[in-house]
Amino acid sequence: MEYIVTIIILVGLFVILAASFDLIIGYCGLISIAHPIFYAIGAYTSAMLAKEAGVPVPLAMLIGAGAALVSSILVALPSLRVSGDYLLIASIGFQLGLIELAKHFHEIGGAGGLTNIPPFLIREVGREAYAVLVVVIAALTVWFVRWMATGPYGRMMSALRDDELAFSMLGRNAIWVKVSVFGIGSAIAGLAGGLYAHYFRFIEPDQFGLLASSAVLTMVVVGGMRTTWGPVVGAIVLQLLPQAITFFGLPPSVLGPLQGIMFTGLVLVFMFMRPQGLVAASDLWRGREGGARHD
Amino acid sequence: MTDVLRIRDLNKSFGGIVVADEVNLDLHAGRVLGLIGPNGAGKTSLFNLVTGVVKPDTGSITLDGQSIDNLPIYQRARLGLARTWQNLRLFPSLSVLDNVMLGPRDYPGEKLTSLIFDARGVARRQAEEQDRAHAILKRTGLAGVAQSRVQDIAYGQQKLVGVARALMNDARCLLLDEPMAGVEGQAYGAIQRVVRDIAESGVAVCVVEHNVAFVRDLCDEGVFMFAGKVLARGTVGELIADPRLTELYFGT
Ligand SMILES: Nc1ncnc2c1ncn2[C@@H]1O[C@H](COP(=O)(O)OP(=O)(O)OP(=O)(O)O)[C@@H](O)[C@H]1O
Ligand SMILES: [Mg+2]
Repeated sequence: MEYIVTIIILVGLFVILAASFDLIIGYCGLISIAHPIFYAIGAYTSAMLAKEAGVPVPLAMLIGAGAALVSSILVALPSLRVSGDYLLIASIGFQLGLIELAKHFHEIGGAGGLTNIPPFLIREVGREAYAVLVVVIAALTVWFVRWMATGPYGRMMSALRDDELAFSMLGRNAIWVKVSVFGIGSAIAGLAGGLYAHYFRFIEPDQFGLLASSAVLTMVVVGGMRTTWGPVVGAIVLQLLPQAITFFGLPPSVLGPLQGIMFTGLVLVFMFMRPQGLVAASDLWRGREGGARHD
Repeated sequence: MTDVLRIRDLNKSFGGIVVADEVNLDLHAGRVLGLIGPNGAGKTSLFNLVTGVVKPDTGSITLDGQSIDNLPIYQRARLGLARTWQNLRLFPSLSVLDNVMLGPRDYPGEKLTSLIFDARGVARRQAEEQDRAHAILKRTGLAGVAQSRVQDIAYGQQKLVGVARALMNDARCLLLDEPMAGVEGQAYGAIQRVVRDIAESGVAVCVVEHNVAFVRDLCDEGVFMFAGKVLARGTVGELIADPRLTELYFGT
């Protein structure tokens, strides 16, 4: 039972990560794969605040999300002011640099990881309650991304993806839209980080590296970018698949690389065979108001 | 006659190519100015300089008396500067209506705070803008294709979408880059009528166009550009009657 609850929590966390990443890379077209570093910032901030400063866990989680928001804006603002492609380089640099830095910081556990993170809900109410919390937040995230994408902001993101110059010429502030979306998506990832930390109670720098990046990217690509259910389907499929291969009892030294190869392979297969993913998005934007009011 | 746009001593070159050479030009409220000149004269470049797409080497531009030299593109647009593009630049993932809906100077919901804390106000203003968009689509003869994707309509209609999108700005100054190129049939008359109407409502309009008949029928005045220089200003009739200019225009 504990195993199943843990799987549900992991799937829920990846739904949150994939849906918020889809907002960034799918809807807004911002090329970055450093999403897990904001997950890490949320996780570490929340864990340290609760563990060392005795901050109540829910508050610590919110501050963690805030830290992810602020740091993502600091990364995005200078690189997006230059031009699109710098974001990819700047954010990967930030991700890998911060991971290396964390490994040398003994105060936050160093390379060995941060242990004994205060738990939340598990003792008082039980693991199932935590799973419910995560699933509710995952559902809210999916709803929120859909709300953003089908409203006035969604129309702006579509136009911005199509033609930034024409978009700006209409009086729209392209940089601000991009930074806002990057910040919001990253803040949600930060919240997921807090949720991870106070359930598993152990985090280490390496789990937020490129393997995690490729996992989240694969979920969005395989599930289907710019769709409501794509990231959900992707997160479920890609969380259950690696779980399935753990049943073969392979040693960890084989398992890790095998999962990495699997993610990369899936991305390649989907790029060529079904670029739209399992759930295909319409190539024409439709707002939630419908729009057929007049005729 | 009020000067809406005032260009002073504007210079710009790309490497050795001079696209603006001491350009001085005023656009007046309620008037249509035709900008003519051969390919490569610097007409589109002038629009790019005015809108902030390209930064000038020297010179200054004011809109309604306010300097816009240091403003980014989007802020110039918000002061009432709108344009169309020679190569359209429509948004293919949006319907005709949604292309146009992006055009208001102050787009409801662009501020995240208003989107979250004043959702009702945003929805109300979106509905107002949608009514305005429908009115503009009707005026430009696009009412029937409002829900179509822009790739699916005729080229002339696509040009009109560009004009309609710019009209949403409720601009003080409207720059049209070759609105007639590739356009025939119904759209021809529609564009002419719409541009005339816009000017009559007090907007300063500048049209770049190779279709001389169109420019002559439409414009109050014309300027002739060559190699980044404004060589002459007068009625379009005078300009095209000048053998010196026609020689530059057609080359010899
Ligand atoms: N960004 C740029 N970089 C380098 N050269 C440029 C740039 N923009 C324009 N040019 C050059 O400047 C010259 C003027 O171009 P421009 O597009 O302004 O001409 P035009 O008068 O609009 O011509 P047409 O009637 O063909 O549209 C051309 O030789 C063009 O190649
Ligand atoms: Mg041109």
